[in-house]
Amino acid sequence: MNLSNVKLILSREIRDQLRDRRTLFMIFVLPLLLYPLLGMSFFQVSQFMQAQPTSVLIVGAKDLVDLPPLVQNREFARGLFADSSKARLLKLHFAPDEPAGNLNEMPDRCAEARRAVQSGQYDAALYFPDDFANRLEDFRQAIEARAEQGEQSPQQTDPKVSLLVPSPEIIYTTANEKSQVAYSRLSGVLRRWTAEVGKTNLAAGGVPTSAAEPFDVQTADVAGETGYRGAAMWSKILPVLLLIWALTGAFYPAVDLCAGEKERGTLETLLSSPAERSEIVLGKLLTIMLFSMITAVLNLASIGVTGWLVLGDLAEFRAPPAMAVLWLAIALVPISAMFSALCLALAAFARSTKEGQYYLMPLLLVIMPLAILPMAPGVELNLGNSLIPVTGVVLLLRSVLEGGYLQALQFLPGVVAVTLAACLLSIRWAVDQFNSESVLFRESERLEMGLWLRRLVRDRQATPTVAAAVFCGVMILVVRFFMSFALESPEGFGDFAKLAVVTQLAVIATPALLMTIIFTNSPRRTLLLRCPAWRTIPAAVLLAVLLHPVANALQVVITQLYPVSEEVRAALESAEKILRTAPYWKIVLMIAVVPAICEELAFRGFILSGFRHLGHKWRAIVYSALFFGLAHAILQQSLIACLVGLVIGYLAVQSGSLLPGAIFHVLNNSLAVANSRITPEVLDRWPSLGTLASAVDGGGCIYHWPVVGICAFAGLVLLGWFAGLPYPKSAEEQLQEAIDRGLYED
Amino acid sequence: MIKVRELTKHYADLRRGRFVALDGINFDAKAGQVYGLLGPNGAGKTTALRILSTVLRPSSGTATINGFDVLTQPSQVRHQIGFMSANTAVYDRMTGWEMVEYFGRLHGLSEQQLADRMEHLFERLQMDDTRDLLGAKMSTGMKQKVSIARAIVHDPPVLIFDEATVGLDVLVARALLSTVAELRDHGKCIIFSTHIMHEAEKLCDRVAILHHGQILAEGTLEELRDVHHERDLEELFFQLISRHDKAHPPTV
Repeated sequence: MNLSNVKLILSREIRDQLRDRRTLFMIFVLPLLLYPLLGMSFFQVSQFMQAQPTSVLIVGAKDLVDLPPLVQNREFARGLFADSSKARLLKLHFAPDEPAGNLNEMPDRCAEARRAVQSGQYDAALYFPDDFANRLEDFRQAIEARAEQGEQSPQQTDPKVSLLVPSPEIIYTTANEKSQVAYSRLSGVLRRWTAEVGKTNLAAGGVPTSAAEPFDVQTADVAGETGYRGAAMWSKILPVLLLIWALTGAFYPAVDLCAGEKERGTLETLLSSPAERSEIVLGKLLTIMLFSMITAVLNLASIGVTGWLVLGDLAEFRAPPAMAVLWLAIALVPISAMFSALCLALAAFARSTKEGQYYLMPLLLVIMPLAILPMAPGVELNLGNSLIPVTGVVLLLRSVLEGGYLQALQFLPGVVAVTLAACLLSIRWAVDQFNSESVLFRESERLEMGLWLRRLVRDRQATPTVAAAVFCGVMILVVRFFMSFALESPEGFGDFAKLAVVTQLAVIATPALLMTIIFTNSPRRTLLLRCPAWRTIPAAVLLAVLLHPVANALQVVITQLYPVSEEVRAALESAEKILRTAPYWKIVLMIAVVPAICEELAFRGFILSGFRHLGHKWRAIVYSALFFGLAHAILQQSLIACLVGLVIGYLAVQSGSLLPGAIFHVLNNSLAVANSRITPEVLDRWPSLGTLASAVDGGGCIYHWPVVGICAFAGLVLLGWFAGLPYPKSAEEQLQEAIDRGLYED
Repeated sequence: MIKVRELTKHYADLRRGRFVALDGINFDAKAGQVYGLLGPNGAGKTTALRILSTVLRPSSGTATINGFDVLTQPSQVRHQIGFMSANTAVYDRMTGWEMVEYFGRLHGLSEQQLADRMEHLFERLQMDDTRDLLGAKMSTGMKQKVSIARAIVHDPPVLIFDEATVGLDVLVARALLSTVAELRDHGKCIIFSTHIMHEAEKLCDRVAILHHGQILAEGTLEELRDVHHERDLEELFFQLISRHDKAHPPTV
């Protein structure tokens, strides 16, 4: 790679962006204006909402005499407010006294008050039941009497006095913001008044009023000593904002630098210059990264300054710790790199800036759940969560912002590794997009489904296209998803077997076989229905046996990292119970043989063959393994299935046949079932087995680490043997090899 | 200088499905020669020239420029060529000077070489008015001059012009053709694609008539006229295309 070319492209792109008014506005002007304006608006709106008087209807307050004053001069008593000037914010309206007459003809005053609030006539209403004052007075007198008579309880003093005082009712509606403000004010007034009434009662009973609050609770915020006071608020806000602005700041320059350049016709000029595609990508990537970081920094700075000015008077508001700001700055580099590469790849795919801008929303829909996941209750920084891209970074930053350095340090390697891996994959994707002719010279075509399907059928080749492979994979996943809701849980083994066979045949094998017949003209080549070299069969058997302890250990690790939920655990236990009732051969047939045939036809047959048109066998293997993993409903199973899918895909490619992979699949599943049946008694009966593995609660065994290590090494050696086999290549793979060979020779 | 052998390119799109844009074409072009690729729209001219400029990869066959293979030695090939097409544009937010300088630097010219070369080009192509003018504000003629200067700033032995006169007014097109002729006289090997027959008659030393990805006829203009007994190139072109279409009616 020629770094001077990268530098040239970088400086040109920066200059180009700095001359673009839209970019300058988005990156430099918007943050400086947006937050002060938002802060000012928020401040004014909140002031407006707070200062706006709210109307309150008071029903049944006329009898509240001989009690601490609630209403004075047609206002709530000023002493009931923390700030007495706020009394004017509750405009009181008093319901007329009840009409005299037949008790049965009297209107329901509470219902009337509710209707008045519902209709918006009043923001809230305060309703006192008819005999509230009398009952409260009776209660007070009973306490007084009790105090006078000594030890007897109020009931014993006068059995006719009920201690049940009916509750006053605040009527408001959560459908209206102003009504909620009125409720908040009213409830504060009533809380203080209730406390006053309580004190009067205590005094009547001869008890010191301090008995209601015999002590004060002191608080001690130790965060002040560590310099992290008020960090909790920042720890929730800053990491998410950092991600959002790093992504937004990367997106618009990426669209302009790729889709915009395509649209303006300058990309072809650049591609025919001596700059290599990787140099062009790197130059553009660094530009996008720079603007992404500047956008994030400026936005956070503007938010900080605005927050300081708007919320600075609040006692709980504190500036974020200086150390935390430094950590944010460090984390911004890999985050920006990852988002910049993602945006670059997406923007390279777009034909125009307009099309490019449509891709922002799907990108946000993928990134935002990962960024917001840490806000869910109970999601903390642990090994499992630290390995989730984006989520791990947010959790790590949150921990650091709260001063939890030791905890953060513990999970730092995992977060860094995952973020760097995501970053490298994104960059790789961006480079691939720039190497793809179909992406760079994509032309606008109206999508006509009928025409497309006719083309697929008429122009079918020996093996499916990449688009057909993706279509098949997505269709399997979608049908499987909806079918999982339609099918009921099996009651016995018969139900279980039916369910397994129907799912495998209808959802997985049938779409792949139908598409093979319709979209290809050589089912034999597509589904790899060839006789492999005989040596590959025993090698696949041996590999399955060797990799079984490794898969078992991985299963244990994954379950520890991402524990299964109680619901899933219950479902798995119920399935295990059903399986225990059936003979082993039947279980092997349902769990190993049927899936091996159906899944191999679909994932290593149709889908893998389609992806081999990409020109890279490993890409085909990885994509087919991803579909295979996603087709397993439970996350923990999906992760293992992905890894197993990689091995089986590799066997299929290297042997040129579906058979070794299918045999591996059958054995892998059969050994897993056999493992689940191993009990401590079995290990006692076979002491030599006990040297290899230990039984676990609930059935099954885990292999000792030396066994896992040795098997993993031997498995890798065997996979290396497969690598030496001559295998059939697609035309695209042959072309790519020729190019690579030529470049290598240079 | 340029050798093309059995060059084939397949594409797939929604309307045409999988189709052959170039169907095993062969030709040679030498230094000091303008080689014309004539053909109607969709004949495969742009595909052929994009392969020669390493922007696209061939599906099969070979093409070498100055001995370097376009598939396996794309980097070396790009140093040998200057590419300009009707589709290529200038950067809106760069001045004429900055743009030519940028491509000169990408070609690895030293400061002194670049300065001398640029002064020479700006004077020769009379481009002083584009020196400090942003691309967005340039006229079509100015843009075309900047594109030519950008393509020849590193003084490449091979120049590829793809429908370079499309959209130009008569004066600008004429100036461009005269520049191409000058470059030929300086010993450059030039591939010039067009569908305007009088441009080919005026400029090209050899031509290939391309249609549906196949070369229907190839040779000097005189050779073509003699073989096909037709003096008028446009008529000759029309006859060849019609004959081919009658023999191979479209399937869609």
